[in-house]
Amino acid sequence: MVYEMKPLFKERMQKLLPDKEDFEAFEKIVHTDPKNFIRCNMLKISPVKLLERLNKKWKVIQPYPEYPNIMLIESELPPGGLGNAIEHLLGYYYVQEISSMLSVIALNPEPGELILDLCASPGSKTTQIASCMNNNGTIIANDLKMDRIKILNANTERCGVMNAIVTKNDAVRLCERLSKSEFKFDKILLDAPCSGEGTLRSSPKTFITWNYKVVRNFSRQQKKMLAYALKCLKVHGTLVYSTCTHAPEEDEEVVDFALKNFPVKIEKIHLPLKCRQGVAEWYEKSFSPEIKNTCRIYPQDNDSEGFFVSKMTLLEEIK
Amino acid sequence: MKFIKSSGKKRIINELEQRFGITSLPYLLIKTGKEKIRGFSGSLSKDEILQLVKLANIEIIGIYLMKEELGMDLRLSFDATQILQSQITKNIIEIDEKQFADWIRGRDLDIEIQEGVYIIKLKNDFIGCGVSNSKKIFNYVPKERRIRN
Repeated sequence: MVYEMKPLFKERMQKLLPDKEDFEAFEKIVHTDPKNFIRCNMLKISPVKLLERLNKKWKVIQPYPEYPNIMLIESELPPGGLGNAIEHLLGYYYVQEISSMLSVIALNPEPGELILDLCASPGSKTTQIASCMNNNGTIIANDLKMDRIKILNANTERCGVMNAIVTKNDAVRLCERLSKSEFKFDKILLDAPCSGEGTLRSSPKTFITWNYKVVRNFSRQQKKMLAYALKCLKVHGTLVYSTCTHAPEEDEEVVDFALKNFPVKIEKIHLPLKCRQGVAEWYEKSFSPEIKNTCRIYPQDNDSEGFFVSKMTLLEEIK
Repeated sequence: MKFIKSSGKKRIINELEQRFGITSLPYLLIKTGKEKIRGFSGSLSKDEILQLVKLANIEIIGIYLMKEELGMDLRLSFDATQILQSQITKNIIEIDEKQFADWIRGRDLDIEIQEGVYIIKLKNDFIGCGVSNSKKIFNYVPKERRIRN
């Protein structure tokens, strides 16, 4: 079944992609299946050894020399082929779309740090953070609902994550309590719940479920989460705010809200994909010039899903 | 949630050494429920974790490492056999591809060996623990880690 974009969604995407050919490329690629990316779980196996094993059954390449743990399966796979492989069951790799790996690449976790992953389920980014930290330091991985916590736990166990504490809390309430305590984090990942416009390739149902009210509601929720999350950050600490949506209300507008209300600086990010600068204005709104340091990932640029990543540093204590 | 004291940890290591050759567990050990023992490699101390308990609804700490059942040897979890593989030197049963096909689907193995807990291995992969009643090896591969037919 081929889904169509709702008229308002189409209008908004055309505004974001004013070049006709660019929009047509977007419209075409969102109706194709995403590529099969995996991330080698270096807590359990080295990229060299995993590649050697997988190449015996599939054609596998490492498209980004700087990130040998990122692998692309080029062979045609049967349904469930990636999830049922022994290497997956043993936790040697995580099935993760390339754009979803970008937030942790931007966060750049290091061993010994105290890191808060605020909306952690299903655990793709928690396991990626743990892999970067080599299980040293601590991750507080939080999510709201028990069914999501169970998935998160299954994935952290499978990947051999030993340095995580999984919590079940409303993100805002958790941050409110943590901000009044002695717990201050070196780094925070806020991969926020969003309208999912970037995931049309893997979740075509988004074509049907999308509506503008949802975008506005998420935007309000995301600003609140970001405001409270920033209060839990150490001075000079890093917060990465990301979404898998193209809606500027959920992306640049949220980052702009942080810039206007908190002592933060938006950092430039170096990512292995083609990124476009954040939009400077959207309908009647103009954003701070620093917004240009945020990154928009469009599926037609990289044959990926769509994504948004921003990285901010807290300049002074929030009182 | 109960932190295992150093005397308890020594006893556990001693048992693991006798059975599997494991001599080191450089983690904070935590008992959850009656029998399960988890390991936490993070940097937070016991006191910091107890402080965090007051602020957050903690569901899980670290990873499930082993089960301590009355009258039985310690049984390592599927993942613990991988985490501790470099230390495991004895009571290993090496299986072949055909046996592996059964094992990873949750079936018991028709292997006759002295009663006790054994580590199951296929080539270089450690794939959990099984318990022998001397006539067969009972399967403990968690459901979510089995290949579905």
